[in-house]
This record gives sequence, C-alpha cells and structure tokens, in this order.
Amino acid sequence: MVAVPKQEDMLSLVEEAVGFASKNGADEAEAYLYQGLTTNVSIERGQIARSSRIIDQGLGVRVIVNKAVGFSYTNMLENKAIVEETILKALSFAKASKRDENWHSLPAGRPSASVEGTYDGNVVELRSEDLVKLASEMLDAAENKDKRVFPIEGGVGASHLSHAIANSSGVANFDQGTIIECNLAAIGQEKGEVTPVCFEFNAERSCSINPQWVGDEAARLAISALGAKKVETKATTVIFTQFALQQLLYFTLINAVKADYVQRNQSAFKGRIGEKVASENVTIYDDGLCRGGLRTWKFDGEGVPQQKTVIIEKGVLCNFIYDDYTAKKEGRDSTGNATRAGYLSTPNVEATNFHLMAGNKSPEELISEMGEGLIVYYLQGAHSSNPASGEFSVVATPAWKIRNGEVTYATRGAMLTGNVFHVLKNISALANNERKVGQLIAPWVLVRNVKVIGK
Amino acid sequence: MKEVLIKAVDAAQKFGAEYVEVRFEKLLKTMLTLKEGRVEAAKQGIENGAALRVLVKGAWGFASVGILNTETLTSAVLDACKMAKVASSRLKAPINLVKTKAVEDKVVVKSLKDPSKIPVEDKISMALTMNNIILGYDNRVKSCTVDYLDLIGTNYFLSSEGTYIEQEKLYVLSRITATAIEAGIFTFSREEIGSTSGYEIFDVETPEIVGEKVAKRAVEQLKAKSPKGGTYPAVLGPNVVGVFVHEAFGHLAEADLTLSGSILLSKLGKKIASDVVTFYDDGTINGAFGSSKYDEEGIPTQKTLLVKDGIVAGLMHSRETAHKFNTTPTGNMRAESFRVEPIIRMRNTFMEPKDHSFEELVSDIRFGYYLKSFRGGQANLDGTFQVGIQEAYEIVNGEVGEPVRNASISGNTLETLLKVDAAGKDFRLWPGRCGKGQTAFVCDGGPHVRIKEVLVGGSA
Repeated sequence: MVAVPKQEDMLSLVEEAVGFASKNGADEAEAYLYQGLTTNVSIERGQIARSSRIIDQGLGVRVIVNKAVGFSYTNMLENKAIVEETILKALSFAKASKRDENWHSLPAGRPSASVEGTYDGNVVELRSEDLVKLASEMLDAAENKDKRVFPIEGGVGASHLSHAIANSSGVANFDQGTIIECNLAAIGQEKGEVTPVCFEFNAERSCSINPQWVGDEAARLAISALGAKKVETKATTVIFTQFALQQLLYFTLINAVKADYVQRNQSAFKGRIGEKVASENVTIYDDGLCRGGLRTWKFDGEGVPQQKTVIIEKGVLCNFIYDDYTAKKEGRDSTGNATRAGYLSTPNVEATNFHLMAGNKSPEELISEMGEGLIVYYLQGAHSSNPASGEFSVVATPAWKIRNGEVTYATRGAMLTGNVFHVLKNISALANNERKVGQLIAPWVLVRNVKVIGK
Repeated sequence: MKEVLIKAVDAAQKFGAEYVEVRFEKLLKTMLTLKEGRVEAAKQGIENGAALRVLVKGAWGFASVGILNTETLTSAVLDACKMAKVASSRLKAPINLVKTKAVEDKVVVKSLKDPSKIPVEDKISMALTMNNIILGYDNRVKSCTVDYLDLIGTNYFLSSEGTYIEQEKLYVLSRITATAIEAGIFTFSREEIGSTSGYEIFDVETPEIVGEKVAKRAVEQLKAKSPKGGTYPAVLGPNVVGVFVHEAFGHLAEADLTLSGSILLSKLGKKIASDVVTFYDDGTINGAFGSSKYDEEGIPTQKTLLVKDGIVAGLMHSRETAHKFNTTPTGNMRAESFRVEPIIRMRNTFMEPKDHSFEELVSDIRFGYYLKSFRGGQANLDGTFQVGIQEAYEIVNGEVGEPVRNASISGNTLETLLKVDAAGKDFRLWPGRCGKGQTAFVCDGGPHVRIKEVLVGGSA
C-alpha cells in the first residue's frame, strides 16, 4: 500500500501552489489537494471474483484575475513542471474568461470545526484478505438464507481519504477520514419469475459494519419480493424506507434548499423562509458535524468550517445552505456547504448530512398504525423528477402491500406520482429507526394520500 | 511508453498471471459552466494514469495509479496479482476469457475542428450565445445553465497476448438546461449535444437551434396540463424510443446483467417482441457519441444485432461473458477512465425504422399521448422500466393536441415490446450519458413508434 500522506507534506504543496499563483498574477488563489486510497473486494454472480486497489491523487487550483475565475487540475504531482503549468493554465483561463461582478473574495481563514468518529486507523490497516473475509460473511449469510436467492453483485470497500486546502486569504487546513462499506444486491428466482433487484448496504466511518446483516437482509427482501401482484389505482398511505426517501429527496427537496437554486429562481422555496412547508413533525438539519456521519469533515471544499444548520423546524422553513459565493451575494456567512468531486471540480453547494429527525414509533407500530397501504424500498426513475417543481412520477420497486397492519405481498409495477412538497406536508408519522443512506440520515416515514397508479 | 507497459506485463506474467493488460491514458479536458451568462469558471484538466487488470487463478485483480514509471507500475501490477490471488481463495467457478486474435494498431482521430485548437474564448462566446438566445426567448425563462466539455486524449493498450493499440479519443459535449416560471408553475427543459467527430458539431447543433428548442419547450410546458394516469395508446418520438430501447431492453442484453438473472436469460432465440421490432447496438457509426474503433479489451467494435423481427438474436459481450456463452466478444467493454475497470456498456443503440409516416401512426388513435422527449429513464433486471418525459402532447381523434407536463411511462419490457404495433420511416440518433456505476457516452434512437397501450403516470 502506498504510504499514507503526511499532513505537513500536503499542506506545503497547497501553500506552494497558492504562492506560485499569486506570484504569477493571481489576485486571489486557492489550491486543493486530494488523495484517496481505496481497496475493494467484489462479488459477482454468487462468488468473490475480483479485488482492486485505486490510488487517486491530484491538485485543483482556482485563481481569480480581475474578478474572473479560472480553474485547472492535474494528477501528475510527481512532475513539478506540470504542476506549475497547471497553475499557469488556470491563470490563462481566468484571463480568457468573463468578469463576474458578483465575485467578492475567497473565504478568509477560520479555525476548523472539531469532529468525532471520522477516522479509524483500523480501516487503513485492512488488507484484501480481511475484506475477502467480510465479503464471505455477507455472501454466506445471503446464500444460506434460501436457495432461491441469487446474489448478483456487491462487495466490501475500505477507503482512506485525505485533503488539504490553502488560499491567499489565510485558509490552510488538513483533514483525513476513513470509510468502510459493504453492499449486496440480490434477486429472488422461482419458476421463471425474477424479482426486481433488492439491495442492502452498510457504510461507516469506523470498522463497525455488519456484513452478515446486509447479506441476510438483501436475501430476505429478495425472497419476499417473489409472487408480486399488481395493485389498484388510488390514493393510498405509503411508508418510504430510507433508500426510497433518499432517491425522492435528492433530486427535489435537497436542491430546493441550496442557495444557488434559490438565487437562480429554480427553487419553489424562494421567498418562503418562515413559512410552514412541511407537516409539524418534520425537522431537518444539515449537519456537517454529526458524529460518524458519512459527510462529516472539519471543513468544506473551500476550507470553511462545516456546521449544523437547521433547515426545517417543526414544519417551518428556517434556512438555506450556502457556499461562500452565494453567502456573500446576500451579505451573510457560508454555512460550510461547498462540496468538491475530489480534485476534479470547483466547489458546488451541496448538503452534508441531511438529517431528518426520527420520530418515536417503532417500525412495527408504523406498519400496524397505517392499516392499509404500501411500503416502498426503492424508486425507479427518481432522477426524472422535475427538479424545479418537485413533481415526480416514479415506479415503486420493490414495494409491498400492507393490509390490516401487516406486510402481505410484493407489488409489481406500481407508479407513484405527486409533488415532493405535498409529500412533506402529508408526512403523518416517523419511525425511530434512523440510519445513514448516502447524504441522508432518516427514519422510515409515513405519508398520507400518495397517488398510486396500478393496473 | 510501450517499454514501461511491457515491463509491467512481464512482471505480472512472472508472478503467474494467466492474463495481463495495461491501459495507459492521457487526457486533456476543457470545461465551462455558465449560469445565466455568468462564467462560473473556465476549467482545464490534465491527467494521466494506468489501469492494470490481471487474471490470477481465475480471479480478477485490478489496480489504478496516476504515476507512470516502471517502479510504480510494476509494484501496482504485482499488487493487483496478489489481490487477485487472495480473491481466488473463495472462487467457485474460475473466470475464463474467450480466445481472440492479437491486434496491433494505431488509431488517429480526424476532426474538421479539433477542439484543442479552438481558443477557450471562442467556446465561452458560443456558450454565451446559447445563453442569450435562451434567456432572450421569453421573459418567463428565468434560469439557464450551459455546461460544456471537450476531452482529447490517447489510450495505450498492451496485453499479455500481444495486442498493442494506441487509440486517440475525442469527445465534445454540451448540456443545456432552462427553467421557466409563471403563476407558481415551474418547468424544466434540457438538451444534450455530443459527438466524437469534433467541434464542428456546433455547426449543425448551432447555439441558435438548440437554444431556441430548450427555451421554447420550457415556455410551452407552462400552459401544459397533467396527464391522466392510466393505460393509453402512445406514439413515442425517436428520442423516447431511444431511451426505451436503451433502458428497457438494452441493459437486459448486456451479457453481465443477462447472466445476473435478467429476464432475457431464458429468452435467447425466442420471440419477445412484435414483428416490427429490430434492435442493434453499433459502435462503428462515424462521429456518433458511443463510437470507437476498439474497446477497452482491445476488441474491435461492431454492429451487433440484438433483436431481429421480434426474436432475441444476440447480446453485448466481454471476453469473459463470450466464453460463458460460447460466442465472440462484441467490443462493448468500456471504462470511464483509468480509475475504473472496464464493464459491458452500450454504444449506439437503436431500433430499425419501418414504413409508416407520422400521420399514419397518429391517425387511428382516438385518445392517447405523443411522448416526444425524455427527461430520464431507468430499468430493473425483472424488466420493469420507467421513462420520465419532458415533452408530451395529447393525441385526440387522430391529431396531436395540447401539451402535457411531467408525464412518465412504465411497464414491463417484454409485455410492452409485444404491444409495439407500428414504426415510422424516419430515424434519428440522440447523444446521451448512461450511468452503470460509471458514466459512458452513448447514443440511442430510432423512428417514431406506436405502442397499443402503455401505463402513463400523471402528476395530477
């Protein structure tokens, strides 16, 4: 394994890059260095078939000349001439670009936030043998469940990520973290019937994943998805599990609270701070500091400390999320929500850990309370939602019919249509089973009056 | 270049690898994002890296590194070998590759307008023109994003079986979106431009033509109504047919997914669609977004017949799946970059045109929908598909009527393909991007097509 980079080496590289840019004509400059080491063991069609190691590192440099922004990146860090050429290219692109009258400045240096549970040395030490063992536990759990289960793909991955950022306004920060993840997709097969893909996963910042549970749960879903039936067209009550909720919110609500969407008239929430936009039991934080959160870091993609921001409190819209540019446009402070795709991109406004607060009902209580309806695990086609209006028209698959307070049979091809902003107002209960799925931390939610199009 | 790659291959063979390939990639990218005419940043990327894939004791090992020297590559390839060996400890059925002919070739891209020779100022000005046309179209158009990317590079591929290919690549791509607002109604419109031929694509897809199309759709959708949810006859435009062929059928015919239990596995050689249905995947169409001479296993691309007159005729194969099916690879192994392993991907996937005029397709429908342009689509192994629609119209008494907003169609692929009852004589391919863990540039398309009935999801 390649040596884990040292904090001082990474910081000196970004500081040198900022110095070189400033010396060569940048009014302002920022350099971001990223290194990711990832080891994976992959399952394909019922067996562990491959293992991989990916080492990716690179430098992204943003410069401002006469209020115009240029950016350039390279991953050829061993070659000093190319690094300098990259910085000069960012400068020439800034000069070729157009002046942005709204450009104010890069963020000033502030102390990093303190975070917990984001780094575990044991993850860094894991060898592919260890990952094979974890993957085997997951695979065995799925295959031992039932012979109708076919684990089609999945795996275990361990990553060590480090990044450093410096700018000409005094930012100089370093952070590192670990992520370990296992996932399994399985289908159920019986007498010519194939179920939709049933997926389960577990990602953590420390060595605390439970591959057996993942294998067992993916298999349980696949078996129970057999024997699917069509449903009637009508408005019904729906429980969205975390995966379905994440898909639904990612393309709609999360965009609607980003300051750039609001400022650009692309958000239905524009001008509605202080209004009731969701049912009373909905409280959402964007929590960049949440212990062990998958997106918890000391600082964001511009070096601004991450923070906890209340988005919706008891149904009332409280705040939007900002990067430094959109914040300065409104004369306020960034909420630490600038995200980068590693070294390959300039920062963009993005949620950190989007935390929908749990309720107090057990999942069983939620199911028994609803009486009749659907429980939906995944949505197909959520990315085709109208991102501006929040309107969606998606397939719920796999999903199960609930009758008399019990999960009965799997449903086939049920479409759900509606508007995510109506969904928020119709959330009538939340379970107490919150978990992390991508950038979302949420429990199951019970939503009244969702239009289902069936036969 | 070749010397360093040879040393890495030698090292892996000494370790005992059955198969070794080294793919080295050099890339130069130019990117722009304009939001309401503001150039967010003019961006450039210089990157290179090596992807090393080995087969040891029947299991795959893979390593990716960004540094190209003998020492780093040799250590990475040995790392890949060791990992493959570890992975093989749990193997039930060792992986085998079908035998292929070794190839030596050098592929040079010829473009009329090489994007790397066009000053970034010109690209900015083209994007600004697009922006100005969109925002100037109507004052209800409130926002506009223009993304532009061009990418040029070279791939060097060397395998332990003697194949050595140097292949240049070139992509030009633009994504244009706009939103319009009136009386609390938000609409969204999107177009994509993509080519492997060169910057000359903007001489055909000019900022004027594309800008007006995006803006006009956003504005017309403002007065559109929501569709009635339920089962209706429908005419699909080539753009929607393309995404339907790609999502609802194409993914199921990627042999890795077929083997993973897609509903096609039991249907090879069997009739799954009506007689008017013939599908191809073709990697050889000059300039099309999914074209390339060789794939990332060094296999020449080809025109692959997938469905002939309703009967499943073929799948898209890697060397690994071709061995399992006792057939030949189809040149569909693609990797987004040196950071990832190649997987089976579509290239340019389409339905063959037939003989109907558009009027003939529409004329028999008393009430139904004309689905002209898609927003997104997704499929599942069980054949459940969903295609979200950004532009649709009612069909009333044989004529195209009022616009409809935020429709989508869904169903089961096999049931729906049997209901395709007529195809037009027109044809068009559309560029797009496909996600299967990695992003691939593709085209899809076909003629106008009529379906007897399909489930339409409304948002009312």
